[in-house]
Amino acid sequence: MEYIVETKHLTKKFGKEEAVSNLEMKIPKGEIYGFLGPNGAGKTTTIRMLLGLMRPTSGSVQLFGKDMKNNRIDILKNIGSLVENPSYYPHLTAKENLEASRKILNVPKKRIDEVLQQVRLHGVANKKVKGFSLGMKQRLGIAAAMLHQPELLILDEPTNGLDPSGIIEMRQLIQSLPEEYGMTVLISSHLLSEIDQMATRVGVVSKGKMIFQDSIETMRKFAQASIQVKVNDNEAAWRSLLANGQKADLEKESVTLQAEDDGQVAASIRYLVQQGFSIYRVQEEKRSLENIFLEMTKEEQSG
Amino acid sequence: MILSLVKADFLKIKRKGMWLLCLIGPFGVVALQMVNYGVRKDYLFEQMDDRWLYYILNINTFTPLAIVLGIVILTSFMASIEDETNAWKQLVALPVSKRAVYLSKFTVVSCIVFLSSVLLFLFMFGYGLTLGMGEDIPYLRLMEYSFLPFFAALPVLGLQLWVATVSKNQAIPVTLGVVGVILAYSASLLPDWVIWKWPSLSNEWGHSYINALLGIGFGVFVYLLGMIDFKRRDVK
Repeated sequence: MEYIVETKHLTKKFGKEEAVSNLEMKIPKGEIYGFLGPNGAGKTTTIRMLLGLMRPTSGSVQLFGKDMKNNRIDILKNIGSLVENPSYYPHLTAKENLEASRKILNVPKKRIDEVLQQVRLHGVANKKVKGFSLGMKQRLGIAAAMLHQPELLILDEPTNGLDPSGIIEMRQLIQSLPEEYGMTVLISSHLLSEIDQMATRVGVVSKGKMIFQDSIETMRKFAQASIQVKVNDNEAAWRSLLANGQKADLEKESVTLQAEDDGQVAASIRYLVQQGFSIYRVQEEKRSLENIFLEMTKEEQSG
Repeated sequence: MILSLVKADFLKIKRKGMWLLCLIGPFGVVALQMVNYGVRKDYLFEQMDDRWLYYILNINTFTPLAIVLGIVILTSFMASIEDETNAWKQLVALPVSKRAVYLSKFTVVSCIVFLSSVLLFLFMFGYGLTLGMGEDIPYLRLMEYSFLPFFAALPVLGLQLWVATVSKNQAIPVTLGVVGVILAYSASLLPDWVIWKWPSLSNEWGHSYINALLGIGFGVFVYLLGMIDFKRRDVK
């Protein structure tokens, strides 16, 4: 598979503390990669190393199959980025802010109007950024990142400070990028719900380590519902289910069925009825992605 | 690449009052002599046979001060434009080398200070003409005392830019700058090796061009040190 981003044993130490340790990130072309982790997990540090803002203590960063160390400028020509809080020059207008980047990127002037249109800031193009709301500044940052139509867009917490309608717009914009321009997008966030709605691949990082990296479908599988059954004698029911070759767990006040489909659930319930158990309740318990995420990061922290 | 960076940097200093500063500096230095000559012109004319030279030397008492002060303010401004919203990270994430970023800042500050020198020449020449100090205008001396202080001040520029770009807190370069201004003002008391003395153009050999040459040489050296350090550092 062709990877746009590939890091190998990426490590960054600040003094003795390891902010990022042995991180292996792989992003295939055309994906929207959600980079998840609690605050302070090392997301921004990783992104800084991807952009060559920081030097890794050890390990390597490869983008577009080229090594960051020796091809920094070449690589950056194809990357647009928005790192953490948006950076801007408050005394300049939105247009002038983009012009400052445009001069360096050497793209045609009409791109400025195009990207301003895309993030819906064309109405305030000639106003000083000083008076913008946080959401507008954020959108300006994204406009700057898209100025040169990069192959890879790196957005660090792009929906910070946006209102709900702004978040939806941003989501639609980001989702359209791979199809329309063949861009690959890396989005970091500490909010799983956000990533869940946009990403096609997920990487979860905690304490500087990558603890999960796969497609969003695989992650969703973890979130599959389990069926809880409450009967008059939970332990006896559990034993007879196991004896019948059914996977089940005994819990305090119920039995949890690990069933793969509805048919299996029906068969198990029928079996329990036939065995003469009184069934009080059958209920579905959904494990949200949120829970999985919490569990993943918790395990990492306690271990 | 460097040219587009310089253009972008010139765009960024728009509305920051840096051009005004560029004008005020040389104007202030000449204005002080307007007061001086306005009040006691006859007395001052008696001090030296070569009235033009005496006038130029009078101007030059304040030129080093203005140049050093100007450099301190401009370099600190340059850095604070990027510091304000930590735009360094956005700038360095563009396809440019960090060396070019530093060179561009250096170039812009140098251009402004040099333009100030040109203005100083014009103001000094213009006001000199109105004083009626004779037809024999010493163009070479005028140029010497307008432009050589700029070259002699390059090490100070290199040092201030270095400290300003790597400091998170602009109080540090400004403090250093204030010390520098005091040193520049007490130039006559200092040994020749102190860089803040150089813009005064005085040295024990009595040749002002020595200060300018030293300034260029050592300025390049300090510039390179600053650039290497800037490139080496992580961008926060």
